[in-house]
Amino acid sequence: MALSLRSLLRKTWLTLSAVKTGVILIILVVIFSAAGTVILQRPMTEPEDMQRAYSPSMLRFLDAVGLTDVFHTRWFVTLLVLVSLCIIAASVERFPNAWRFFSRPYKSPDDGFRRVLPTQAQIPICNEEAGLSAAERAFQRLGMKAERIVRTNSFSLFSERNRISEMAVYIVHASLLLIFLGGIVDALYGWRGFLMLTPGSASNQIEIRNAPGRSLPFSIRCDGAGEETYTDGTPKKYWSKLAVVDNEREIFRKEIVVNDPLVYHGVRFYQSSYGNTGKLEALILNAVPSKGSGPAKEISLGLNQIVPLDADTKVQLSEFIPDYVVEDGKVFTRSNDVENPAVHLIVTSEKTDQAINVWLPEIPGIAENAYAPYVFQPKELRTGVFTGLQVSHEPGQWSVWAGVALMALGLTFVFYVSHKRFWVVPAHNLSGELILWIGGAANRNRDVFEQNFKELVEQIKKELQPETAAAFAPPAAIAGTTIAGR
Amino acid sequence: MSRASAEQQHPAATGMTLIVLVGLSIAFLLAIALLNVAKSGNILSEANLLYAALVFYAGAGALYLGFGVTGTESYITFASLATWAGLIANTGAVAHRWYEAGHPPFASLYEMLLSFVWTLAALTLIAEKRYSVKVIGTVTMPVAIVGVVLMQLLRSDVRPLVPALQSTWLHVHVTLAMLAYAACALSFALAMMFLIQDKLKTETFLAATSVFTVGIYAAILTRFEKWGGFNVVAWDVEHKSDVFISRGVRLFVVIPDLGWMMLLVFGAVAAPLVLYILAQVKKDERFLSIANRAVFIGILMQMLALIFFLLRARDGQYSSLDAEGLYPTSLAASPFILSALVGGIFANLLYLLLLWRRPDLERHLPDAVTLDRITYKTICIAFPLLTLMIAAGAYWANRAWGSYWNWDPKETWAAITWLVYALYLHMRITRGMRGRVAAYFAVAGFAVVMFTFFGVTYLLPGLHAYA
Repeated sequence: MALSLRSLLRKTWLTLSAVKTGVILIILVVIFSAAGTVILQRPMTEPEDMQRAYSPSMLRFLDAVGLTDVFHTRWFVTLLVLVSLCIIAASVERFPNAWRFFSRPYKSPDDGFRRVLPTQAQIPICNEEAGLSAAERAFQRLGMKAERIVRTNSFSLFSERNRISEMAVYIVHASLLLIFLGGIVDALYGWRGFLMLTPGSASNQIEIRNAPGRSLPFSIRCDGAGEETYTDGTPKKYWSKLAVVDNEREIFRKEIVVNDPLVYHGVRFYQSSYGNTGKLEALILNAVPSKGSGPAKEISLGLNQIVPLDADTKVQLSEFIPDYVVEDGKVFTRSNDVENPAVHLIVTSEKTDQAINVWLPEIPGIAENAYAPYVFQPKELRTGVFTGLQVSHEPGQWSVWAGVALMALGLTFVFYVSHKRFWVVPAHNLSGELILWIGGAANRNRDVFEQNFKELVEQIKKELQPETAAAFAPPAAIAGTTIAGR
Repeated sequence: MSRASAEQQHPAATGMTLIVLVGLSIAFLLAIALLNVAKSGNILSEANLLYAALVFYAGAGALYLGFGVTGTESYITFASLATWAGLIANTGAVAHRWYEAGHPPFASLYEMLLSFVWTLAALTLIAEKRYSVKVIGTVTMPVAIVGVVLMQLLRSDVRPLVPALQSTWLHVHVTLAMLAYAACALSFALAMMFLIQDKLKTETFLAATSVFTVGIYAAILTRFEKWGGFNVVAWDVEHKSDVFISRGVRLFVVIPDLGWMMLLVFGAVAAPLVLYILAQVKKDERFLSIANRAVFIGILMQMLALIFFLLRARDGQYSSLDAEGLYPTSLAASPFILSALVGGIFANLLYLLLLWRRPDLERHLPDAVTLDRITYKTICIAFPLLTLMIAAGAYWANRAWGSYWNWDPKETWAAITWLVYALYLHMRITRGMRGRVAAYFAVAGFAVVMFTFFGVTYLLPGLHAYA
């Protein structure tokens, strides 16, 4: 029983760490992610649109299987967890060997290794020391460092570059795990919500979609909000002046715009939207007596506010309609945007006990402006604005960014940095002559490496030349003077 | 071989004639432009530079295609020169636009096309110099010409950036995206060339081209409206933009009978595929020669579809199912359909080039092993770029919208693209996948890239409303 459990564990481990498993898991993630983009997803789509797009039975099926919220279902999360486990298992399985390879460089190649290495060359030499020093000079000229390795009766040379490249793939996979970790932390402990403020108000209540709201330990006060547009009307800038109030103390202020959030204690406030509340703040009018001459009075009215015009007459602002439209003899509003504003004033006279409905603009069939004792000219309309802030808390994002940076580093090493090794060993060839054996190996970009190897061999040959030539040819300068006789 | 020669009824123009003709045309067009320009007094305006670029690219394209038809080698040298001239003019246009707008040209479809066409010309020249693949212009120059022509249809005034796009991360993310997609496109072209050199049968290319064209027309037919109409987006002439019913929801108008036309052409482009399948099932080669003729007819039908589409969708008022009254439409409202129609014609023309000139192509391309290796290297460049593009997009989303990952369709498909190329690398590095399978993988990867870039915006809506 115990044996089969161990072998079961072993089998599971081997399957988990196999590249094939990784490939299958990635394909599954691709298929389900694609499904999640083609099938309408619940968090983003309004329920009515879902019902319009799918028949009731299809919708029931999709909901039951989880295809209407693929990315948050348990089985998709499990799939991602499996991918992480697979990466961990594959790395752990292969890492010890890679680490051994990395930490203990193979500096002194033996007979068997020298025989089978694909990239090698042999150069005949007169004596060991001359050959080795020629090789050392060659390495120097090519900008590489070579160290002398002590062997049983002689020395050999070893030169390598970028050993870190062997670890590159583990760096990349570790970075992936960091990113996943960040995602998991955010899924568990992060949250996102919405906060709507009007200038002058403060709040610490965050609305969260499809969940109960959240109370923050500090509040945000809005001191002002606005928008700027380009000449053709497209929005140029949305801004909000915010202040953080913690324990009755104002901590700091910041004016935020889109792409520049306010951050406090890990909570981020983003400028998301801006608009009119559709509510009137103040209406400033000039009231001129319609009969006879009299001074124009400037009055300011709030909603339902009554202001006396003279001893006898009063005016009340009874309705403010931000975007009026007339239908069936009645006035309705189309939206909260101040597109077509209309105000309804009621002018009452003590003497005649009349209430006259004045409308600005004068809406035919409804307004009784002609009967009013005053003519009203609107001067200024101040409406309320609100600023919409997106609020989020994502503790895991640092892991994600760290993972991204590490991955950039890892990918650079994987693709562009190759581990090159060169060995130079004085040996005897099959015929018993003394030769210099040169070998090389690289873990990637082998075509470029072959070039480098050829360069090295040519350079060593060149360094060896003066040795053999010096024995026969006189120095060039002396030859020039003796032969030319100058 | 015998199939190919049956189609070779074209008289081969002598070497110099076409070059002289193209040179004279370029000179003539530029002279006319200069005359107009002298009147207005502004030589180096963006429109003129773009026109010059178009003229040069058209010349280069003509010469590359001339090579395709006749096999004369000198065409390629002059085509390269024309591409260089076009690139210089294009660079001028980009610089001018950048200066005028105050930001790099990434903020609208017009600007994206401008950048894309520039990148295409630059990559063509790099591929010719660095990789010695001299015929790549046959593919890239016609695409560049289409790009510049499309630009003429689009609203080109300098559009100020909406708040969400006012960030340096816009430039970083979009630049990385363009470089990554360009590298993927290059790997696709190289993989195709590998398949040519690897002696993949011409009829397999026939099947692939047919499947691609059928796919395009299937996507186009999603706009088929009952009783034979064709849905296009309505165009607001005054504001020069699409007409929106509400936030994110566009108003569609129905062009009557155009739907039948598209259905007809769908049948025409499906014919080569059907004939190919018949040839395989019945093991009869005669079906293949009929299939090749069907491809030729299919191209003519596709051109008809394009012409009808241009005529009906260019202007004209149509009714809508969602609103009362007649609404105008414009070609600028349907960039994807236009690209799809042109893309289909273009792919089929390339197939014909292969059919008629395969031996010449094979002579001018490097050998298969080299192409396999270069494809891998190009993907080694594309993959880190894709990674950085996604990372920059995530960081920017975090700053603008408050979260770095939303499983938005565009984001998800970008991740899928990344995974597909990661799969390619895994299979190659760890499992030693090479040759044909690797090439197929590279082609599939690029198909996913194209879907991410075009399909998501056209077929699946979401947050990514800008491009």
